[in-house]
Amino acid sequence: MNRQHPHKHISLQPSYILHTRPYRDSSLLLEIFCRDHGRIGLVARGARSSKPRFAGLLQPFIPILLSWHGQGELATLRSAEPGGPAPLLAGDRLYSAFYLNELLLRLLQRADPHTRLFDAYITVLSALAESKKEEESLRHFEQVLLQEIGYGLILDHDVETGEAIDTRLQYTYILDRGPVLWQKNTQQGIIIQGKTLQAIAANHYPDSETRRQAKHLMRSALAVHLGGRPLKSRELYRKQRFL
Amino acid sequence: MTTALIGQLIEALRCLPGVGPKSAQRMAYHLLERDRPGARQLAAILSESAEKVGHCKRCRTLSEKELCDICASQKRNPQLLCVVESPIDVQAILQATDYQGLFFVLMGHISPLDGIGPEDIGLDELAKRLDEGEVNEVILATNPTVEGEATAHYIAEMVNRRKIKATRIAHGVPMGGELEFVNSSTLSHAFSGRQAL
Ligand SMILES: [Zn+2]
Repeated sequence: MNRQHPHKHISLQPSYILHTRPYRDSSLLLEIFCRDHGRIGLVARGARSSKPRFAGLLQPFIPILLSWHGQGELATLRSAEPGGPAPLLAGDRLYSAFYLNELLLRLLQRADPHTRLFDAYITVLSALAESKKEEESLRHFEQVLLQEIGYGLILDHDVETGEAIDTRLQYTYILDRGPVLWQKNTQQGIIIQGKTLQAIAANHYPDSETRRQAKHLMRSALAVHLGGRPLKSRELYRKQRFL
Repeated sequence: MTTALIGQLIEALRCLPGVGPKSAQRMAYHLLERDRPGARQLAAILSESAEKVGHCKRCRTLSEKELCDICASQKRNPQLLCVVESPIDVQAILQATDYQGLFFVLMGHISPLDGIGPEDIGLDELAKRLDEGEVNEVILATNPTVEGEATAHYIAEMVNRRKIKATRIAHGVPMGGELEFVNSSTLSHAFSGRQAL
């Protein structure tokens, strides 16, 4: 269903730029993520001319208020205004921010609203800028993203027995089903502690072991939907270790 | 009237940045009506440049010689290496500053969402250059965009790991500008980069 109504005028919509690329002689094609309409494609006419319109605002990771009008797949940007203080992302935190945008571009359909995910995005950007609770916010963002695309993780019960997760026990998470109690001969799935499942649900990680396991589970769960094509932003971390 | 050949000329001129159909048409008619010698010279130089200009083997900038004039110069300080995204940035720095060191031109920047990684911007060559041991400061002058920042950070790690000093050009409020009209991310960077007086 196309929820981007034809001929609609949208005004001052809280948004972020996910990606831009040159379009025709002096324009930019924008992929944006906005509060009420999710991921939208826009044309910013004159954004690359010698006297560029929307100067300096069409950059990723800056909160902006966008107004546009138009129909179909690509609407036309009418105005861009600053939407609040810009988080300062430095160093490795920039790679993480690119990772968020790459996930959104790869996994969201256009014109599906995802307001919870939008909130999680704002939270994780400010966590990255302030270097506070970065991992928690990243895991929370990934978890909400999975829920929003219809593949939320099951964290509260064993899918085989229906029993509540016991934080003292060990489970295997089978990606297309959920957690089942770990058994010696289990071949498939990801081994995970009950306390990690609870930590993800509560978004509170008591130790490095639960952090590590949660990260591994998220990576594996997302990989299913990324279809074998690796994320470029994640390669940056990996390569940086071998400079 | 527009013949097939003139039409092709107009279309060809549109490969220039910022040149739309109207300006391309104006350029084509100007060259043909008023400046045939200019048109011939442009054609000759253009085809010679396209044929002969390659990349300097040391700094990767555009050059028809194996070593560009800057890299070949004995007068510049080989201990300073300034890393920029494009050859036009080299010109901008030469014209605006009294920088006396050498350059390394990435011919782009890291942009994960466009699929451009470190291997696409000549960083192996840069690593070799650093390992020669002559450079003692790398000045990172990539653009103040998120891609430029990510690129600068990546290279800074490379440089620091070799116990070489990495510096980043300052960015902030443009001279002659007014704070009111500066965009929020520029102002935010300018604030975090403030200096004691
Ligand atoms: Zn050179």
